[in-house]
Amino acid sequence: MDNANTDLLPRNPTTGEVLPPRAQPGYYPGYSTLSQQRFWDAATHEVVLRRVHQAQPIRFFTPDEARLMEAVCARIIPQDDRDEAHRIPIVGPIDERLASGRIDGYRYEDMPPDGEAHKLGLQAIEAIAQHLFHTPFLQLGAGQQERVLKTIHDGEPPAGEGIWRRMSAPRYWMLLVQDCVAAYYAHPYAWDEIGFGGPAYPRGYMRGGQPEPWEVEERRYEWEAPEWAVSSEYEPLGRGHETITPGQGGSH
Amino acid sequence: MKSPLFGKFEEPEDDEHWLGPIQRLKTPMRRFAPGDEVDIVIVGVGSAGGVLLQRLARAGFRVVGIEAGPFWDTERDWVSDEAGSHQLYWNDLRITGGAHPLAFGANNSGRGVGGGSVHWAAFTPRFHPSDFRVYSEDGVGADWPISYQDLKPYYELLEREMPVAGPAYFPWGDPHGYPYGPHPLGGPAEALVKGCTALGIPVCQGGPVAINSGSHGDRPHCIYRGFCIQGCKVGAKQSTLISHVPDAIEYGAEIRANSMVARVNLGKDGLVTGVTYFDEDGHEQEQRAKVVIVSGYAIETPRLLLNSACNGFEQGLANSSGVVGKYLMAQAGNVVMGRFDDPVRMYKYPPANALTEEFYETDPRRGFARGFAIQTVGPLPIAFAKQMMVAKGAWGWGMRAVMMDYNHWAALGLLGEILPWEDNRVELAEETDRYGLRVAKSTFNLHDNDQKMIAYGVNKVEEVLRAAGATEVVQEPRYAHLIGGARMGNDPSTSVVDGFCRSHDIPNLFVCDGSVFPTQGSANPGLTIQALAARTADYLIAEREAILTRQPRSMRGVEAGAPPIHYDLSPHGTSGRGVPRLKSRTPTPEIGLGGLPVGSKG
Ligand SMILES: Cc1cc2nc3c(=O)[nH]c(=O)nc-3n(C[C@H](O)[C@H](O)[C@H](O)COP(=O)(O)OP(=O)(O)OC[C@H]3O[C@@H](n4cnc5c(N)ncnc54)[C@H](O)[C@@H]3O)c2cc1C
Ligand code: SF4
Repeated sequence: MDNANTDLLPRNPTTGEVLPPRAQPGYYPGYSTLSQQRFWDAATHEVVLRRVHQAQPIRFFTPDEARLMEAVCARIIPQDDRDEAHRIPIVGPIDERLASGRIDGYRYEDMPPDGEAHKLGLQAIEAIAQHLFHTPFLQLGAGQQERVLKTIHDGEPPAGEGIWRRMSAPRYWMLLVQDCVAAYYAHPYAWDEIGFGGPAYPRGYMRGGQPEPWEVEERRYEWEAPEWAVSSEYEPLGRGHETITPGQGGSH
Repeated sequence: MKSPLFGKFEEPEDDEHWLGPIQRLKTPMRRFAPGDEVDIVIVGVGSAGGVLLQRLARAGFRVVGIEAGPFWDTERDWVSDEAGSHQLYWNDLRITGGAHPLAFGANNSGRGVGGGSVHWAAFTPRFHPSDFRVYSEDGVGADWPISYQDLKPYYELLEREMPVAGPAYFPWGDPHGYPYGPHPLGGPAEALVKGCTALGIPVCQGGPVAINSGSHGDRPHCIYRGFCIQGCKVGAKQSTLISHVPDAIEYGAEIRANSMVARVNLGKDGLVTGVTYFDEDGHEQEQRAKVVIVSGYAIETPRLLLNSACNGFEQGLANSSGVVGKYLMAQAGNVVMGRFDDPVRMYKYPPANALTEEFYETDPRRGFARGFAIQTVGPLPIAFAKQMMVAKGAWGWGMRAVMMDYNHWAALGLLGEILPWEDNRVELAEETDRYGLRVAKSTFNLHDNDQKMIAYGVNKVEEVLRAAGATEVVQEPRYAHLIGGARMGNDPSTSVVDGFCRSHDIPNLFVCDGSVFPTQGSANPGLTIQALAARTADYLIAEREAILTRQPRSMRGVEAGAPPIHYDLSPHGTSGRGVPRLKSRTPTPEIGLGGLPVGSKG
């Protein structure tokens, strides 16, 4: 492991030791949803396996945009604690959604269509990077990149005015984060990380809060984000003074 | 464990249409000839549309349901996967605005046969008697033109047809019991029950929910896999797709799937003549009918009426009152999440698992009218991550960290009664959809009473979670369940339809779905929507003569009183099931047949 990389890694808060990248971060060592795939129905099997095995070519973003988007998504959902072989593609699924024009059924009246919003957002991120550090976002260190993004999270982007007149910063933030988490937590590796059961038909569950025979008990370990990380602190969106944008996931 | 509980898993054969692992659709479906005039056309085969279609077909009407989305095969089309279930929702563009804009798509509307009942959590509480008299009792909102007693027999029927599992005694509103026993509790339900009990709040566990707690006909019981909102492949959770549509088809109804109704057509005599729609291949078609029922739900129903503006109805069909699209509601659906030291694993068990309606009615001491319920929800990882983005402002390493704790969180939902306000509305936007039809634009603002109710309610849910032992409690504001946009009432100048869901303006045009509710209570709307559909069907059956002889103007008005209740139109094998005291009043032929399960006949 070279030094540049260890900077990006989480640490053990007690010993300060760097935690090397793992195939499977999280508290469920040895747990694998994919190992259960022969118990899944055919339709589900196909959908999940396609997600795991098919790398999508970038169609919506230009190569420059795609590079910038990769760097942005790498901070929205950092994966430095995962070894290369077990990283979860984020930009691919977002690009695929935008290229095929798939939307969630609505658009805020103060927002452009999703694809345009993403492109404008990247321009704004670049403008903020220049404004704060006089350096392109791609060349910033991870901590500086986080500080650029944090200004949007806080609803106080210091540059890109023209863009923020065309779209709302908090809504762009939600669009960006939602697209990233929707890609990451759709992946079986992420399910293994968080101990989610994954597809469960036709087998079902029997044991409530207890693990099923094929699930594993939680085994926690201490870790903390790298020192430079501002994203490890929880702060309200828009610093709390914006009327909070209502949530958009369906749960009831 | 070597094999799944169902034993060896079969895959569908080519000519089979699966509705759950056991039930098969008997093909072929009846096809009316192009150009045929049918008795009744229903726009949208969702919660209301599915029940209407079944009742009307059984009663012998020639009836066609035109549905914008697919006719699902549960085995081929649905997956046990959160992201893969995207196509269950109404994902076409809608524009949303106002101070508190509503989110659509996965948040509230379905598309495809079964409509929203495909992805609902299937909580099925009844409305309270007070819900029908909100204006009289509290001076806010509106009164319904019908009462709880008018709907009660239909609640009882639908609770058996779905069927609903719940306790033998449900204490709130008009106390009643459920035909099937309650479900075991998952993690969030245990938290709700524990917290409420610690605070002395009565709580109802294991229902009421339209999920089989015992097998029912050719529908298995729940396997507690927790993917209810992604469509229940098991067939344990009710959707009209599996509970009513097979019966409708057996009795000669036709469903045209993937067909989008563009407008309802008006004839020179001031009666509607049928609908124009785009078929599966995108070709424009017409379906003539003696009666049109619009059942497209709170956004699409007003949109269709507005898009059907014509000579004589320049501001929208059946809209002489100007009320079409107005008084749109959503329930406050704040998700309040508590972290527990012990694992909760909330992805297991149906999200709809326990509730309390202790705060449902107006309590003057609280400083606002009406109230709220508290219910369990069970967000899967993607939904939970989105909730944490709002509730904790999580992103980056913070998102990764809180998600690693997913199994320690329990989520409860506030279900609060936002009142009907005229400025909350659906209009047409300038943008058009892939058919060239103008899309809907909604405007939504919370008013003072709503905000007070939400603040109080969220606080109460937080208290419950803390009392249950949560060490950290956070919340995400959001809305659930659309209602209104074509409300019913006695006064034609302030409402769109009457108490039988018949439009005031056009005697053979009906609207029957969630859009007709004048108020929404703090109960999930689905049961009431389906019950209202069964009642509307009874009205149409009572007026059969007038319909078949094309004399809709002679159909009786609300002053004639309620239509006779048909206890013999339930789908096979559902009458008289469940606990004895809920048995049909009139014995039905089904019971005579020995209560054969659905599909086992012939
Ligand atoms: C995540 C989630 C959970 C929910 N949980 C619950 C719950 O636990 N309990 C509960 O009671 N409710 C719940 N609901 C709400 C419930 O699903 C809806 O209230 C209910 O389905 C509405 O019924 P409806 O008949 O009015 O409309 P729908 O069921 O939405 O049916 C309308 C149908 O019309 C079709 N349609 C619309 N326009 C056209 C057109 N122009 N041409 C052709 N077809 C058209 C649509 O495709 C759709 O199939 C939930 C909703 C969501 C999103
Ligand atoms: S939890 Fe039960 S009702 Fe829900 S999807 Fe699974 S089997 Fe169906």
